[in-house]
Amino acid sequence: MFIHNLKYSFKTLLKNKMLIFWTFAFPIILGTFFKMAFSNIENSEKLDIIDIAIVENDEFKNNEIFKETFKELSDDNNEEKLFDIQYVNEEEAKELLNNDEITGYLIIKDEPNIVVNTSGINETILKYVTEEITQTQSMIENVAQNKVEEKVKDIVAGKIQFTSYEEIYKQIYDEIVDMLDKNNANISNISSSNLSYTMIEFYTLIAMACLYGGILGLVAINQNLPNMSNNGKRVAMSPTPKYKVILSSVLASYIIQLIGIALLFIYTIFALKVDYGTNLPLIVLLACAGCLAGLSMGVAIASVFKTNDNLKTGIVISFTMFGCFLSGMMGITMKYIVDKNLPLVNKLNPASMITDGFYSLYYYDTLDRFYFNLISLLAFASLMIVISILSLRRQKYDNI
Amino acid sequence: MTIFKTFLKVLNKCKAPIIIYTVFLIFFGGFNIKTSDNSMSFVADKPDILIVNEDKDNKITNNLINYIEKNSNKIEIEDNEEARNDALFYRDVNYIIYIPANYGEDFLKGVNPEIKIKSTGDYQASLAEMMLERYIKVANIYNDTYSLEDDIIEKVNDTLSKETNIEITSKLDTAKLDKASFYYNFTNYCILAGCIYVICLILSSFKNENISKRTIVSSINYKEYNMKLLISNTLFSIILWMFYVLLSFVLVGDIMFTAHGVIYIINSFIFTLCAVTIAFLIGNLMRNKDAINGIVNVIALGSSFLCGAFVPADILPDSVLKIAHILPSYWYIKTNEMVKTLEEFNFETLKPIVINMGVIVLFSILFITITNIVSSKKRKKN
Repeated sequence: MFIHNLKYSFKTLLKNKMLIFWTFAFPIILGTFFKMAFSNIENSEKLDIIDIAIVENDEFKNNEIFKETFKELSDDNNEEKLFDIQYVNEEEAKELLNNDEITGYLIIKDEPNIVVNTSGINETILKYVTEEITQTQSMIENVAQNKVEEKVKDIVAGKIQFTSYEEIYKQIYDEIVDMLDKNNANISNISSSNLSYTMIEFYTLIAMACLYGGILGLVAINQNLPNMSNNGKRVAMSPTPKYKVILSSVLASYIIQLIGIALLFIYTIFALKVDYGTNLPLIVLLACAGCLAGLSMGVAIASVFKTNDNLKTGIVISFTMFGCFLSGMMGITMKYIVDKNLPLVNKLNPASMITDGFYSLYYYDTLDRFYFNLISLLAFASLMIVISILSLRRQKYDNI
Repeated sequence: MTIFKTFLKVLNKCKAPIIIYTVFLIFFGGFNIKTSDNSMSFVADKPDILIVNEDKDNKITNNLINYIEKNSNKIEIEDNEEARNDALFYRDVNYIIYIPANYGEDFLKGVNPEIKIKSTGDYQASLAEMMLERYIKVANIYNDTYSLEDDIIEKVNDTLSKETNIEITSKLDTAKLDKASFYYNFTNYCILAGCIYVICLILSSFKNENISKRTIVSSINYKEYNMKLLISNTLFSIILWMFYVLLSFVLVGDIMFTAHGVIYIINSFIFTLCAVTIAFLIGNLMRNKDAINGIVNVIALGSSFLCGAFVPADILPDSVLKIAHILPSYWYIKTNEMVKTLEEFNFETLKPIVINMGVIVLFSILFITITNIVSSKKRKKN
């Protein structure tokens, strides 16, 4: 009987087109949209080469340090190339800025001046670089002055021999160049290489698909409830133990749900290039637990609420979407804001448990956080199962 | 009147999705944008930097911290590594600087101590790195030159305080225009989803086999019947559009009273009419009432994602934008983006905007034509 009912539940569920659309196709379509919209966000946030113009007047031509520095920063062979520079006169520079072809232009009158259209990151960087040149200039003056004083002292004290002015200038020049070369900052980057935050969108997508699976459980239970369908009335009349019927229907939904999630994983990994980290067994484990949580939620909603089919589906969908909203589907920062300010909310939210589980596998080296999420999910699923059992057992109808 | 009453009855049934779309619009279009008040003068971008200081109270270390804090936004994060890692991943901070123990003393000894950092690798982080590198380089060089701690600090601060003049030419209030554009771009989703959902639901209710048979045998003229249905649907869409325009006055503010605001409003009106024609086409093609929700989501979400309603169009991949050309939303959003940078109003500057609007009108005509072909074929079949 178990196998018989399993087989037919499986068939009826698969033939329900709307059900299959929402649980199988919709996450895949949404994932494709995410990929199209978000694939370039992180690249566009990286520092790009900035188009600028420099007014080539006499002041600029005579200023070696500005000329050389900008030449080096716009050199194609320089790995740290920052600017694409057009050397123009003032009228042309204004025209270029007006047409938004450049971020801004530099004009040296008495002091260096920068003209831009708006405030922004590229404008800030142009300002920074120009300032750095002025500051280096001032630093070199200070250091040179100090060196000259030292040399004079040394010569007076007889520590070094005076040869010629050129010789001493050459020495000071070499010392300063040497100082500039060797005094670079000693910085080492220790951040994780997995920093792609748009991955969270795809993790919430998996969370959504897992919880949407609740609709499958819901439909399967409704088929066996005498107050929901004619099919349910006949099941109730039959001499088969109810637990067998319920269990086999739920198992059929779980299998379908796992197939759906597997397809979604295959699609996101191979077509959308989503990175779930490297620990495959744990990824599968988390997905199975997530599906179980979604399914048990659907079963609980189907058995606790005594209302019509549409309303029950509505409850599953709104709960899922609200959970996904809190875990960052409609704006990744939302998850962080909730995690930071109302940590308890996301510790109780199954969508967030799934999302955070994948996040911890992707970003963290340790597994504590992952296991916490996994255990929370299983606890949530068990709670839902207990609620369903309590409300489904010993149901009897004198009339209906 | 009977038709209109029935129309209102069905409309009443689908108020929930309309409310949800509007809540999304208010939430994302109204509150999600940072506003800055002094956009008329230059404001340097400040990266969000977190400093983890393991050194004790030391003049050199404090001076470095002061300099970084002055040029960045200070972020409060819980004092543990997991919170810091989370903050970095979700871009709450762009750059974390770990100052090692004994940094100040080692520095004065000329060791050039290693500073560990964590970086998001985006442009804010690059700016932060430029800032840190510059400070350390200047400090190192002065450390080589002068011997007294106070001299070094004074010279470093003196050198780093030299600023460059920066002039700003645009007189536009870009922050407010950004907000208006973002709001109207987002309405792309609400208008499309709202119109398609409601109109399809209404058309399919009227097309229900029993109801349509009853209508056919009744005394009502079928032309009048079609006309009234068309008018009530259009009327609904216009009311929806007016509602969103009114909402924009509340959420976006006084910029809506300028010429820029007028263009946003006209543009959204033309787009609403186009959305009605799309909805009619889908309503005519579709048979199954249950499928409406799926279709609405795929079409409205699809064109919003592809054309830049949620994610700004200039950071979408080029290939996606090429595909987007075949959708009316693309032209609608393109106009909104153009208005943002419009400084003068004359024939030259308004021409591309008028062309965009023309394209949307052409799309509408195309949809009407297809609808007519489809429905006449269907009628013949029956």
